[in-house]
Amino acid sequence: MEQVTNNEILKIEKLKKYFHIGKDKQGPIYVRAVDGVDLNIKYGETLGLVGESGSGKSTIAYTVVGMYRPTSGQILFKGKNIGMEASKRPLSIKKEIQIVFQDPGSSLNPRQTIEQILALPFRIHTQMPKRQFREKMVELLEKVELSADYLYKSPPSIGGGEKQMVAVARAMASNPSLIVLDEPTSALDVSVQAKIINKLMDLQKEMHLTYLFITHDLSLMRNVANRIAIMYLGKICEVAEAVTFFEKPLHPYTQMLISSVPVITEEEKKLKPKKVISTGEIPSPVNIPPGCSFHLRCPYKMSICSKVDPEMIEVSSGHIVRCHLFAKLENKKTRKE
Amino acid sequence: MDIKEFRIATIKKSQKEGKLYRFWDKISRYWYHFSRNKLSVLGMLIVGLVIVLAILAPYITPYPKHAGPFVDFVNSNQSPSVKYWLGTDEIGRDILTRIIFAFRGALIMSIVVLAIAVPVGTLLGLLAGFYYKKIIDTIIMRISDVFLSIPSLVLALSIAAVLKPNLMNAMIAVTVMWWPWYTRLVYGMASSIRNEYFVIAADLTGASKFHIIFREILPNCLSPVFTKMALDVGWVLIISASLSFVGLGEQQPTPSLGQMVANGSRYLPELWWMCVFPALAIIITILGFNLLGDGIRDMLQSSR
Amino acid sequence: MNNKILLEIKDLHVWYRVYGGYLKVLNGIYLMVREGERVGLVGEAGCGKTTTMKSILQILPPGDFHIPQGQIFYKGQDVLKMSFKELQRLRSREIAMIFQDPTAALNPVFIIGTQIGDVIKYSSAFEENVHQEKIKTLSTKALKEVSLPDPERMLINYPFQLSGGMRQRVCIAMAISSPRNLLLADEPGTSLDVTIQDQIHRLLNELVEKRNTAIILITHSLGVAREMTDRIYVMYAGTIIETATAEVLFKNPVHPYTKGLLASIPKISGGGIAKGISGKLPSYLNPPSGCRFQPRCEQESPICSEEPPQLLEIEKDHLVACYLTKG
Repeated sequence: MEQVTNNEILKIEKLKKYFHIGKDKQGPIYVRAVDGVDLNIKYGETLGLVGESGSGKSTIAYTVVGMYRPTSGQILFKGKNIGMEASKRPLSIKKEIQIVFQDPGSSLNPRQTIEQILALPFRIHTQMPKRQFREKMVELLEKVELSADYLYKSPPSIGGGEKQMVAVARAMASNPSLIVLDEPTSALDVSVQAKIINKLMDLQKEMHLTYLFITHDLSLMRNVANRIAIMYLGKICEVAEAVTFFEKPLHPYTQMLISSVPVITEEEKKLKPKKVISTGEIPSPVNIPPGCSFHLRCPYKMSICSKVDPEMIEVSSGHIVRCHLFAKLENKKTRKE
Repeated sequence: MDIKEFRIATIKKSQKEGKLYRFWDKISRYWYHFSRNKLSVLGMLIVGLVIVLAILAPYITPYPKHAGPFVDFVNSNQSPSVKYWLGTDEIGRDILTRIIFAFRGALIMSIVVLAIAVPVGTLLGLLAGFYYKKIIDTIIMRISDVFLSIPSLVLALSIAAVLKPNLMNAMIAVTVMWWPWYTRLVYGMASSIRNEYFVIAADLTGASKFHIIFREILPNCLSPVFTKMALDVGWVLIISASLSFVGLGEQQPTPSLGQMVANGSRYLPELWWMCVFPALAIIITILGFNLLGDGIRDMLQSSR
Repeated sequence: MNNKILLEIKDLHVWYRVYGGYLKVLNGIYLMVREGERVGLVGEAGCGKTTTMKSILQILPPGDFHIPQGQIFYKGQDVLKMSFKELQRLRSREIAMIFQDPTAALNPVFIIGTQIGDVIKYSSAFEENVHQEKIKTLSTKALKEVSLPDPERMLINYPFQLSGGMRQRVCIAMAISSPRNLLLADEPGTSLDVTIQDQIHRLLNELVEKRNTAIILITHSLGVAREMTDRIYVMYAGTIIETATAEVLFKNPVHPYTKGLLASIPKISGGGIAKGISGKLPSYLNPPSGCRFQPRCEQESPICSEEPPQLLEIEKDHLVACYLTKG
């Protein structure tokens, strides 16, 4: 669309990430984890990325953070190209982008104390002498509502929610501007999740952070994200503001997901789209169906859907969909002009 | 003192007190898990006994001189009695004393071999695992494959036969063939741990390779290494007993268990005590280390 | 709906031995299931739901677990006093359990056909010996019931060839391969995607209705419980703190924990998320005397820390264990 505008902290353009997993008669086989994604994130917002397993949402997160190198496409952070592995990025960029992983059990070294875990980013990214570390670490722990004696505990002896808070503290230690949160509360209970999410929202305001928030939990997304993007098999299906996303979901996959969320209030029940029952298994990203990748499970399938992959269409300001059902709208719009 | 300094002082104080408390708590936990199995405790007692006997050998044995050049044909070939608890050999030396002194050589051998083989093997395994599928990995692992493919006893024998037969050279021989086992063990662990999220997190935030290898990966590889070390003392004992059985270890008159078994086997079955007791000593000692090793493994696994 | 009572747990206490003493995991569980009923057991991680289920079938790891008091009545007989043979009969003909992680529940080195076949073979072992042919027919039938495509081919597949959703269906097929009176489903579908989870839950519903089997569905999600069960038990730290029919529970939650839990659940209609419940689970090694929720409860009264409250009926079919609910 346009060039990098001043208020975009991250801009992803035509990102593709393919994993080579072998060969067959026709040639090499790839897992097309991310297959042409355009996305941007504005300063200070929380962009939610939703999808099921195999959708590519985690792959995008990992590529942004530097675990993977993009197969093609661009990633611009504050205008600078960061489409490379973390080891090749300058330290100043590594400081700015941090990640919180999904599984608190394996994201903290079980053989270290919290003090050692938090000391690492301090040592690398600041010039502070070691004596001052402890003071800063206590401040950091207090920000995430953990008492100072947690410094001497080690991960196996503390609960999942607390471990995740430590992971958040570690991410904040280098004073970043963008934090990628890969399903940070999926492994936790609802009451613990509430605490952590509230803390994350407070910290976002306090420290002027931008979040790329990934989850499969739609009801969580509704209350956390400013804008939501939904992915299926490596491509984005729909992007909209959070409220619009739930009040007027356009893409059939979006409707299918929303209709399968278990809800508890009458208000929510009315909001759910009717009767888009999910059928069939999710195809694997090795064998992506031709045309629109969703057509095999789509209740509104048309003949064009199995042949041509739809383009992204802007239905209204900020609300874009990738679906042939709305191509007519776009045609109508261009005809009018 | 303002609030900040007060807080830091409190933390420092509780850290010192806390350290002692945490240390003691850790020890009690380890002991609880270790002692769940009574056999492990038995193993520990056997090992403890052997070590104590070896250290205090000159002071507690009835006939310390018999461990050196000594001859007493009058009292040779005596069966076990009150005077000589385990009998005497063909030149009149007390078997009990010689067994206890033989423990010294055996333990020194095990300690030296492991003190060299374990760090070397572990370091190589770490490097190979960290640089998984790169050139360093291939070089290190193929070299260790070569050493592992030669039967251990054959290798030790060949090396010891080329060099002069004595304790030092036996130790060299065993060390040379021992390190690859640790390399392989640590390689397996390091190559999978390096994909864990906490290692990735350290890497993403800019940690140096040294930090990742030695502060993130290594501490998580140590448990099986310690278990293997305990069990290996037993194995080194067998190998060294085998070496001295064929005459390639400690030389006379210094006693060594394998040599005593070899010697005593010539006098079976009439003068059975000359062979049976040293053999029993070998068996019981190795059993002790094995039980101890099992206990250490249980202890380290349960405390995770 | 006044069917006979099938399962009744009374005042169950379960202790687990660790370094330093006993973890007093279950502190007086009361649970009741009627024939054909769908009961939900809701609670967060570590509250003891799986321990409760495993106690019903007596499949807790031997040696470390200790049951100081309590009774579990199945069709009038106390499970805790059953002989080994009676227990085997219970496990193979009466009650089946569906575990949380289908990948761990299936043996990776045997084909599906062998695994289902084993279940059928041993469940009939008490009555008559079943022929190979009949086993194959029954296995195929079971796989058809759980809507697995191409059941004959599925029989010769290994678990790794199936997706997570299919594996969970296979586990369900194993559970329903012979007629059962009670199913214990431990968070089926938790490790799967939400659309697949939805399918699994609907499948269970259908099966349960068709065969008039009772089911205890364990979940940590109140939303799932609302859609899939008739009556719900809410559990906290080894105690049942509230139970009611699904409608009544959501319309009128009484216990502070239930209220806190409902408030923490994000809603797709927006509104943000409440602050959650402050504090954390009590230590099972030294549990608080008195109500186990008391340390985190916003209201308080002196009796709360003295004696654990009993489950009392405050309206029809609605029981709560809290001292502060009267007036």
